[in-house]
Amino acid sequence: MNEPLLSVRDLSVVYEPRGGDPVPAVTGATFELQQGDFVGLVGESGSGKSTLGFALTGLSKPPARVSAGSILFNGVDIAGLSLADLRVQRHGGFAMVLQSGMNALNPVRSIRNHFYDIFAAHGHVSRADREERAKVLVGKVELPSSVLDRFAGELSGGMRQRVSIALALSLEPKLMIFDEPTTALDVLVQHAVMNTIRELQAAEKFTAVLISHDLGMVLEVTERVMVMHEGLIVEDNTAAAILAAPQHPYTQMLLSHYGDPRAEVVEVPGLAVRGTARNVSSRVASREGRAAREAIVVSGVSKVYPPPRRGEKPVQAVSNVSFTLEPGASMALVGASGSGKSTIAKMITGVERPTSGTIRFGDLQVDTIKRRSLKRLHTEVQMVFQDPYAALNPLHTVEYILMRPILNFSQRRGQDARRRMLELLDTVGLTPVEQFAARLPHQLSGGQRQRVVIARALASDPQVIIADEPVSMLDVSLRAGLLALLDSLRETWGVSMLYITHDLLSARLVTDQIMVLNHGAVVEEGATASVLRNPQDDYTIRLLEAIPHPQTDR
Amino acid sequence: MTPSTPDPQGTHAVMVRRKQADVAPATSALRVVWRAVATIWSVPKARVGVALLGFFVLLAVFAPLIAPYDPSDNSFGRSEDFSAAHWMGTTAAGQDVLSQIIHGASTSVFVGFVAGLLSTIIAVTIGLTWGYLRNITGDVINFVVNLFLVIPALPLMIVIAAYLQNGGIGMIIFVVVITGWAWGARVLRSQTQSLRSRDFVTAAVFSGDGPARIVFREILPNMTSLIVGSFFGAATAAILAEAGLEFLGLGDSTTISWGTMLFWAQNSNALLTGQWILLFAPGLCISLLATSLSLINFGVDGLSNPRLREGANR
Repeated sequence: MNEPLLSVRDLSVVYEPRGGDPVPAVTGATFELQQGDFVGLVGESGSGKSTLGFALTGLSKPPARVSAGSILFNGVDIAGLSLADLRVQRHGGFAMVLQSGMNALNPVRSIRNHFYDIFAAHGHVSRADREERAKVLVGKVELPSSVLDRFAGELSGGMRQRVSIALALSLEPKLMIFDEPTTALDVLVQHAVMNTIRELQAAEKFTAVLISHDLGMVLEVTERVMVMHEGLIVEDNTAAAILAAPQHPYTQMLLSHYGDPRAEVVEVPGLAVRGTARNVSSRVASREGRAAREAIVVSGVSKVYPPPRRGEKPVQAVSNVSFTLEPGASMALVGASGSGKSTIAKMITGVERPTSGTIRFGDLQVDTIKRRSLKRLHTEVQMVFQDPYAALNPLHTVEYILMRPILNFSQRRGQDARRRMLELLDTVGLTPVEQFAARLPHQLSGGQRQRVVIARALASDPQVIIADEPVSMLDVSLRAGLLALLDSLRETWGVSMLYITHDLLSARLVTDQIMVLNHGAVVEEGATASVLRNPQDDYTIRLLEAIPHPQTDR
Repeated sequence: MTPSTPDPQGTHAVMVRRKQADVAPATSALRVVWRAVATIWSVPKARVGVALLGFFVLLAVFAPLIAPYDPSDNSFGRSEDFSAAHWMGTTAAGQDVLSQIIHGASTSVFVGFVAGLLSTIIAVTIGLTWGYLRNITGDVINFVVNLFLVIPALPLMIVIAAYLQNGGIGMIIFVVVITGWAWGARVLRSQTQSLRSRDFVTAAVFSGDGPARIVFREILPNMTSLIVGSFFGAATAAILAEAGLEFLGLGDSTTISWGTMLFWAQNSNALLTGQWILLFAPGLCISLLATSLSLINFGVDGLSNPRLREGANR
């Protein structure tokens, strides 16, 4: 082997916030990258993977500081370089593509100008060749050269991310760092962009580091994987070796959370086995007590939004969707972003009104509901939100947050209401309850926050829970626990659940019925297991293929 | 006016909170106030402002004890120069200038705080309602606020003040509040609109809370720093407006305040007689008081925008 392109020795990075104690983010990272390597860097949130990525490209900003170790890139220590030297290094050196790279484009300059700016700054492309070079670069990321004339606002998220990859490529970097390049994109687009990155890397032979929280995707794409946990690189091996025999317990745990929704039996830790033979009717019959009594009947519902700009066509968000959510049933609403699944949730909860069609819940006519009856609807139909960081007011204690629905929807007052609040906390597994009741949201982890959100949804003793991507913002290792909680609550409390997601694996795990939406229309529906095992519609098949399958690919 | 922070509770704030996940367990209201004061104090500019403001407030509160003479006692010699008995000389009417300056502080501080508070209360009530409502009421408020924003404030103040004729301090506060609330309302409205679409507000609707509770218990606490900032801005504007109106002779010219001192100094041609201190001292006090409030506002920015705190030492 010749000289490594990048050699990192004993690298440590600390965060030194003003007026706070220093927090080590990366400790003693040591590894080498050869020219042409494609390496994945995997870890959950807070594992230090992005901090490491920033340090590698010399982008560490206060309060982060490289406290020890060296980063030798082509024999030069980056950690000690001045800003001006670093800027020169960026040509033919290293580049980074960020998670929000698609938002890094200047909205008032055309894409062509973005390329020209870089060419002008580094002067490595002569004025006459610029047009040609820019065309070649956008061609590399599979975009037509016509995008050069357009502005960031006119491109989709996937196209913008491709443009930012092309911009990073324009300096012919030897090392490219992709920091969650597809996380903010839609599932199908994610898959396509990832393929582009993989092909580019193979064709251009640059060294690439792919930072991601998704072990499955990284295993599928890269040759070598480093797993980070709490600032330490706990495992560094080839993808095949990690897949076959993960050494570190943390890696084993991460791997165990992947499954194929198409398999006959799907199982992840903490969740009951979901085979094909699940008898729905018998489970409904066995319910007692608070069980859901009324069905939500959606028939022929459409929603058209007025055109976003003058002269454009109105947006058809949902077209002619009909379904019935039986009492006690659990149904998945699946589709890529923009497929209308959240709009349906909004219409069922009375937040939006359908343009045509009817929605009934018991004796409530939801599509024409008055403000006064909205409160009655919300006693019975509750919502679990996607983002636990946004769904809790940062200034209220858990006790306040949970007491509101109890006081508003039930006759309980004083000690009785408080007892109920503590009961709810106990139900969602936040014990000791008194301690959690006194906490503010920022003193809770993401998973704990989402449990509070679930407890709040249960507070009014609803018949129906609408869960809008309840686990998509959480780390993989937390997802199973929350899904198991939702599933068992549904069974013991007897509520019906509409589970909205783009993640087919979780849909397989917690639902019995499934509906696949594409551009606002239902393309496929039926029992979850049979639909996912034998998909008929082309769109469903594409959704299934977009899921990384480390096991089946190798 | 107020240097507004675009997104005080933005994602960055959330991330920083996440990092503090295991700090002190209980957070009482007193503690929050204490932390706010500590944050303001940690900004050097704001520290100067707090010290200056503290000086003027002490002057205002203890004026009768500190001032050597009764400010309206005109038994001294007229237009006297500096002397051991009268450090700043006497006015054309034979009053002690130093005593007037000290007593004038209480008028300015009083008007500043009361008018600032009242216009902030109006701005908060209107701004939040306006921002939260999406119906016809919102449009009506929109019209009224725009009306107040397009009319130039000083002429409007002069017209109202002239119409109310020598109403004293109460009148001045009224005029300042009437002309001063619209900007704050506009700023708070846009912040309310951005908070309105947050998940936790939707969640409160699902919890069965009514609009009033959502606005004042869920949204309002999340823009404390903006409100505090708008209060200091309004107070500054009120102090300047009060001095301006009195200088123009639109207030009650028998009250003792920095504005009326300027008015009388101008009337008695103090500059021509060489008594520059009569114009200089009240003018300096007005600008120092206004400056102290503006300086404090630098610290308020840091209250809910941690980014400003982190970047401060770069």
